Amino acid sequence: MVAFTEEMVDVGGTKVHTLKGGSGEPLLLLHGAGGNNGWLKSVDALAEKYTVYYPSHPGYGKSERPDWLETIPDMACFYTWYLETLGLEGVRTIGFSMGGWIASEIAAMCGHSFSKLMLVGAAGVKPNNSEITDIFIISPAQVLDLMFHDPAQAPEYQAVYGKDPTPEEAMAAESNREMAVRLCWKPYMHDPRLTSLLKRVSIPARMVWGKNDRIVPVECGEIYQRTIKGSDLVVIDNCGHSPQVERPDDFIKTALEFLA
Amino acid sequence: MSLDVYYFTEMPYHYIDDELAEQWPSLRLTFPNSYFDPNKATDLFKRYLDEFQYAEEAGFQGLMINEHHNTPSCMDVEVNITGGILARLTSKAKILMLGNMLPTSDNPPRLAEEIAMLDVISGGRIVSGFVRGIGVESWANNTNPVYNRERFEECHDLIIKTWTTPGPFRWEGKHYQYRAVNPWMVPVQKPHPPAWVPGTGSPETVEWAVKHRYTYAAFLTEINRAKQLFGSYREQAAQQGWQAGPDKFAFMICAHVNETDEKAQESGKAFMWRMGHPLKGPREYWAPPGYFSQAGVAANAARRQKPMNEMSYEELQDNYHLVVGSPETVIKKLRHIKEELGIGSLLLEAQGGPLSHEDTMRSIKLMGEEVIPALQD
Amino acid sequence: MFLMRFTERAYTSYTEDAVRNSPNGAVRLTFSNSNFDPQIGARQYNEYLDEYEYCEEVGFDGLMLNEHHNTPTCLGATMNLEAAILARNTKKPKIVLMGNPLPTFENPLRVAEEIAEIDMISNGRVVSGFVRGTGVESLAANVNPLHNRERFEEAHDLIIKTWTTPGPFRWEGKHYHFRVVNPFQTPLQKPHPPVWIPGLGSPQTLVWAAERRYPYIYLETDPQGTQDMIDVYTEAARESGYEPGPENFGYLCRIHVQDTDEKAYESAKGFLTGNVGVGRVPMPKDYMLPVGYGGNRNDPKVAKYLGRIRKDPFLGLGLETATYDQILASNRWIVGSPETVVRKLRETLSVIRPGILGVWTNDGDTTHADTMRCLELMGQEVLPAIREIGAELELTDPFQKQAQAI
Repeated sequence: MVAFTEEMVDVGGTKVHTLKGGSGEPLLLLHGAGGNNGWLKSVDALAEKYTVYYPSHPGYGKSERPDWLETIPDMACFYTWYLETLGLEGVRTIGFSMGGWIASEIAAMCGHSFSKLMLVGAAGVKPNNSEITDIFIISPAQVLDLMFHDPAQAPEYQAVYGKDPTPEEAMAAESNREMAVRLCWKPYMHDPRLTSLLKRVSIPARMVWGKNDRIVPVECGEIYQRTIKGSDLVVIDNCGHSPQVERPDDFIKTALEFLA
Repeated sequence: MSLDVYYFTEMPYHYIDDELAEQWPSLRLTFPNSYFDPNKATDLFKRYLDEFQYAEEAGFQGLMINEHHNTPSCMDVEVNITGGILARLTSKAKILMLGNMLPTSDNPPRLAEEIAMLDVISGGRIVSGFVRGIGVESWANNTNPVYNRERFEECHDLIIKTWTTPGPFRWEGKHYQYRAVNPWMVPVQKPHPPAWVPGTGSPETVEWAVKHRYTYAAFLTEINRAKQLFGSYREQAAQQGWQAGPDKFAFMICAHVNETDEKAQESGKAFMWRMGHPLKGPREYWAPPGYFSQAGVAANAARRQKPMNEMSYEELQDNYHLVVGSPETVIKKLRHIKEELGIGSLLLEAQGGPLSHEDTMRSIKLMGEEVIPALQD
Repeated sequence: MFLMRFTERAYTSYTEDAVRNSPNGAVRLTFSNSNFDPQIGARQYNEYLDEYEYCEEVGFDGLMLNEHHNTPTCLGATMNLEAAILARNTKKPKIVLMGNPLPTFENPLRVAEEIAEIDMISNGRVVSGFVRGTGVESLAANVNPLHNRERFEEAHDLIIKTWTTPGPFRWEGKHYHFRVVNPFQTPLQKPHPPVWIPGLGSPQTLVWAAERRYPYIYLETDPQGTQDMIDVYTEAARESGYEPGPENFGYLCRIHVQDTDEKAYESAKGFLTGNVGVGRVPMPKDYMLPVGYGGNRNDPKVAKYLGRIRKDPFLGLGLETATYDQILASNRWIVGSPETVVRKLRETLSVIRPGILGVWTNDGDTTHADTMRCLELMGQEVLPAIREIGAELELTDPFQKQAQAI
């Protein structure tokens, strides 16, 4: 396993808790609405080739929440500042679910932030023939159930989701959920302008989707793929919303191939 | 000491039986409106409004109305609509709207206009309750629950300013922005209609009510818990240098009177409908993420040993959530409440669930003739 | 023929000087509400409601209401509230909402709920009109006037879907977003209450209404110009595959009657202090038509429409500056004894051929007593005569012949 450190990056007075490890060119990982799941197998594999920056979004986990930050475009703006603070530019990035939405907004508004964009089960665009599941109106247990196609095939499922949370963990999860509500309530999990702005993106881009995603339908991946020129869509069979947890080997293979 | 007694019903559409209700996660929010028959509702509206008018005639000092969305348990979706009707149809009773949901309102000057219009039409009989709305209202109106309390407070501040400051003025707030606040409708009551706020235990709400010197109404709360809340109100008021009299405290329960205890116990069972399925539902419906502060969550945990929908008919009565009996029995119990809590207003939900028109009218009559006069000493 | 009574429920206890000294000399939007005395308001509201309730007795088919904000010219700031009162206090007449200003609402579901509730309380008597609102309404609610038409159409679509599609469903539109559309209460009338659209004849609205078979109510437009606008509607209707008749059209007109012509001439002067305000001080253009509100001026149809509005001597500024006698001589306001009024009305009706007639009986500082006498005479002499003319001219209304899309 690759060693990683935990540091607090000060972005204009807001401290952002960041996991950092590995070596090579920088790679930014942006987590989804549920929060930062820590240094899992898939992250570790990426750190073999790249220097991974894996922050908890402002308002999540141990990161602070600036009062002005209320929307995903605000968040995108914040991350350009974060990259600037770290002296990074033209980094590779992978955005998961809501994090994919953040990454797309950044790619659309700030051409030099990223050199490669990979979106995994990304929210942000409104499907025409299906719906992004409303994860706020159902219980976290129901959301978890919908996230996986077959939890038995996810090697780290027990380690991440298998045990009852401590009261502190439960409180932290509730606090993360509140931040997601703050950011994504309305319009729900999408930005109506995004598809128009994405036409501006000219860096290599890849969408990765679980074929059986019951949170963000594959249709959203198809829309992203159609909108970002030259991009491709990789659909993983027998897989739900989180390929990096449910089918880590398939995920790592497609990610490394794209990032290389 | 006098006591103002208010007549209240949620105007339930009660044609939903247990068997049907059990097929859905809740009767609220997502229970399909295809189960609604507007013909039946038309008859119910007529009947409920007749009962309100009769309650004034029978001697109630006030009439209370409320609103909810996406639920058969409360057909009134617009408290100012029924408030308008009562304003025009009655002549003496106070009209207590408990209340308008501030956080889900997108246009506070319009709300200020509506309430002012009611106050003007009723000749100054409006009591204006302000509520946060339960979680379901945030869903139904798609208002971000994280900002519920902020919006409540900003909306309130803008309404009060609209009522008390000559227009036009500008408002550039966090949640609301207006370039010319100047509704040509201001209330008859000066500086503005009395404002009430209901509570079920959030410490912030008590603190807020004290700050504005508003009447605090405890809803279906255990007597000991209400005593604590009222005590905390009195204490904070004293700390701020004023004494909170009975007019600052109201208490809401369900109540039903019939000629004898036996008859009342039988007819009063109708209230079990309202204590049942309408109170059930997933946690997300009642309290979406972010709706409660951490302090509110803790207060809720301490609030009640057992949810009302799990209490038996007898337990509900033992806890004074439901007072049922002959006039004598009910007088005894309501006097106990009045003395224990030192309240100035008692809000009686005297029609609930499938309680028939006949039983409702008789109950109103007996309350007016016997119960209300006996509570005035 | 469908006859509905209207008044704007004006408040007139202020002076012309107060208006002239107000910001921008405007009687709407920024004329300070410190000029409003709620004690007088309390009396007036109840008199206005008395009058509407009396209209049922004298035989009107409908009670027409409207709403405006930040203005003494119309006390009905929230029309649905008055409608609810009339729903409970009357038995027969339709309650015609002309109409809810859709673009100013952030929550069209609430409008759908309110109208459904009133429809039930009235036992199915609501006619639900929708309007874009004047510019003042956009400014008072602080809703961007550029989005006015888009919001009007989207709010309309959402309300109709809410009334006709079983919930719960989701709505992710451009201006409106709802995750659980499922108000438990739906209207009594099926598929939904009739929708009528009042207006000044904006061609985009005419086409939009014609495509949906919504009757269009012309608000005091000049009879010859109205004919042109009827042509726009008719053309769009034919393109949609039907032939419109009188049941598709309505006309609102100020009609005041008293025992004698002389008496009527005096008491109808209230019209001069009503919707133009005491002193008839012209409104600033930017209040009534803020930038972006009026539609695309490069569109020839829109240009023609704006030209016509501008040239009409008795609309907008014209109404504010023409003399009382000029207005009466043009027959744009019909004032007189029952005999005079019926004679003049026949002419208007035979030109416009509306199935719906809005009778704006009084306004401004016309006294309550004069208004009640006017309504009484309407019932005794004018309404029966109009009905005869209507029958003779075959002016069918939407309740006699279906104008609605099913």
